[in-house]
Amino acid sequence: MKRYWKFLVPAGLAVVALGFLIANLNSNLVYFNTPTELMQRQADDARLRLGGQVVPGTVAESATGAVFEVTDGRETVLVDHTGAPPDLFQEGIGVVVEGSWDGSEFHSDTMLVKHDENYSPENPDEPFPGS
Amino acid sequence: MTAQAEIRDRRWPWYVAVVAVAVALSLSMISPPDAVQGDLIRIMYIHVPAAWLAYLAFTVTLVGSIGYLATKRMVFDRLAASSAEVGVYFTGLAILLGMIWGKPTWGVWWTWDARLTLTAIMLFVYLGYLALRRATPDPDARAKRSAILGVLAIVQIPIVHFSVVWWRTLHQPPSIIRPDGPAIQDPLMVIALIAGVVAFTVVYVALVAKRMELARIEDAIVAREATFERPVAGEAVVAPDLSPEPGGAR
Repeated sequence: MKRYWKFLVPAGLAVVALGFLIANLNSNLVYFNTPTELMQRQADDARLRLGGQVVPGTVAESATGAVFEVTDGRETVLVDHTGAPPDLFQEGIGVVVEGSWDGSEFHSDTMLVKHDENYSPENPDEPFPGS
Repeated sequence: MTAQAEIRDRRWPWYVAVVAVAVALSLSMISPPDAVQGDLIRIMYIHVPAAWLAYLAFTVTLVGSIGYLATKRMVFDRLAASSAEVGVYFTGLAILLGMIWGKPTWGVWWTWDARLTLTAIMLFVYLGYLALRRATPDPDARAKRSAILGVLAIVQIPIVHFSVVWWRTLHQPPSIIRPDGPAIQDPLMVIALIAGVVAFTVVYVALVAKRMELARIEDAIVAREATFERPVAGEAVVAPDLSPEPGGAR
């Protein structure tokens, strides 16, 4: 009987932990919301993350930071960002902004630049710059 | 009865490792800067190989663990344990290099997205594997228990790798091992990455070979001490032990 407990207790704990993990994966492992998801959301004070691509031609400096639009290809959300954007911030790049949604624009105070999986030289025909 | 404890010290893996690392570093420096992140891409040539070598090391730990459970030969236990130690080193290196890359690219050293969180869990699970080995003095029980953990813990590798595909994360999806084929087209970038993987693989082999040799000597010393401590057959009278440590007479 004692041998059974030695296996049952850790196995039971592992099953509970695994079940807990799977039940929470889909909600907690989503790092940011897309503009489409944000549009379906009611305006509230909840702090959340919005991710998407910066729409080219929409970036403008504001007194407190920058204003720009973020898209996932279907919906576009206006972002009012407070604070200095990171060095890599530019038109067309992926960003994740953190803040709140008032129903018409997203007020962010934290911005992360999301690099994609593509790597390429500035000029593909000239692999050695200056050569 | 006493196990052989002669030291077989092979130097050549280290010479190969130094040359391979030097070649990889040179290639990572002459490859072109990235269009978006510039010279920061050079961190990728050691960050990605470090992460892959962590996968490889823990896979070898799986092989050693299955080998031990199937044959009960201690050499498999030493392979599993040595590879896990080196794997923990490469996991820590991948996390550290990722942080150095993340700060100038993302803007933060660390964030709790799926890839980063699961990688940290993987590091701590294998640290737990090493702690389990330290906490179990009996060699056979230690080998068996850690082999079971070494088999179970492998489920993390595909979860860590595909976390960036399965869930929405800040970390970018894989560029090489992915369903649509490699996303890096520039030949020099690919060569620099391959050179990094080759160099780290040689370093990994040299470290594991050295650690296995060390573990073999450790096992031989433990085995020898165990025979020393046994009472001699026919011993009727025990000399008074005046040394401060029990059994201190050597």
